[in-house]
Order: sequence, then structure tokens, then C-alpha cells
Amino acid sequence: MCAVIVAMFVTPAPQQVIGESSRIFYFHVPQAWVSVLAFALAMVFSVRYLRSRQPADDDRARTAAALGLMFCLLATITGSLFARVYWGSFWNWDPREMSIFVLLLIYFAYFALRGAIEVEERRAALSAVYAVFAFVTVPLLVFVLPRMVPGLHPGANVANEDAAFSMSPTVAVIFFPALAVFTVLFVWIFTLASRIQALSRADEEKDM
Amino acid sequence: MQANYVVMAVTLIVWIGLFLFLMRLDKKVRQLERRPK
Repeated sequence: MCAVIVAMFVTPAPQQVIGESSRIFYFHVPQAWVSVLAFALAMVFSVRYLRSRQPADDDRARTAAALGLMFCLLATITGSLFARVYWGSFWNWDPREMSIFVLLLIYFAYFALRGAIEVEERRAALSAVYAVFAFVTVPLLVFVLPRMVPGLHPGANVANEDAAFSMSPTVAVIFFPALAVFTVLFVWIFTLASRIQALSRADEEKDM
Repeated sequence: MQANYVVMAVTLIVWIGLFLFLMRLDKKVRQLERRPK
């Protein structure tokens, strides 16, 4: 990762029109990617819970959703910093900002739901069903809706063609390893959290 | 360009710190897992 970070800062900015602030692309996009991956994993473990009724699957689904929310928040914060530099304001209600805001609300609601139910089996079952339905919105909110309407966000947009993004080979050489590093980081944190939960569950069972 | 190096140094410190924290946590969890049941 150290080599990737050094390369991110010593090579020319990935988008010359945007300038130096476009370097945030190397962090912002992998964070958004990892959040989608985490929400997908939360859905997979929720389905597994509904089939197996094993509390460990519910624990993993909750961990994945929590990490997804954390990476989604990081993507929102880094995006907002970029917006301040390039668009002049931290929040502009751009379609991309709207969609990530809705996504954050959906997954905050997942934890609100979990917090509202005391009986463990009921909480696990209801939140598993919710996580499955919540994931249906993820591809729509992340990949489809922001591309359907013109907006300020670099990439697929009409209103800001000067910032249209095409990845040069140099950028790709830095970007894809950064994507891999963020994915490995997520998997590592997820595995660690799952192991800690398994240990604490085993301790609880021993005390009973 | 000077500012870039400052941001790079801060980013490196944060990432190295995070890496060391996760390494320590991993080690501690492994010790707990090896504990006799």
C-alpha cells in the first residue's frame, strides 16, 4: 500500500482539468466499491441466516452492513471534500449525492430496526429480510440512477463534460492496486470482527 | 507540489498506523482462539 500511496502523490493528477483534487479519486472510488461489496456480503449472510438460522450468520451480516456503512460514510466525506474544492460547496444535492444520502439512510434504518427489537431470533430474522430488500436498491442507487440524470459528478454526466473521466494507463496502474488494497483491508477487518464475535458468543455460551 | 508531500506523509502515517493496529488485533485474537476451552 505504501508504494501505491507514494505513486498516488508523485504521478501527475489523474484528471488534468480538475487538477490536484482529482487525486481523491484513488481513495473515493475504492471506498464506494468496498461499500457495495460489503452490502452485497450483508445480503448473502442474511440469506444464509434465513436458511440456516445460525446466529453466526446474523453476526456476519451485521458486521458486513456496519463496515459497508462505514466505507459509504468515508466515500461521502471524501466526495464532499472534493465537492468543496471543485464545486465550491460541501453539499450540492447532485444526483450522486442524493443517491448516496438515500443509501446511507437505508442502512442507518437497518441498525435502527436492529436496535428496536429485543428478542434475538426475531431481530435476526426481520433484519435479514430487511437487508435482502435493502440490497435491491444498491445497484440502482449506485450505478443506475446517478447515470440517468445530468449532474456535476465526474464520469457519466452531461452538465460537466470538461471533467469527463477516461482512465490513462498510468492512472489504471495505480487505481486497480488501490482497489485491491481497499478490498483486502475490508476482508481483513471483516474477518477479524467475525472472529471476535465468534469468541464473544462462545464466552457467552460458556457462562450460561 | 510541496503540499502534496505533506498530504502523502499524513496518509502514509494513517495507513501504517491502521496496519499496525490490525496486526496487533489479529495477534491478540489468535492468542484468544488458541486458549484452552
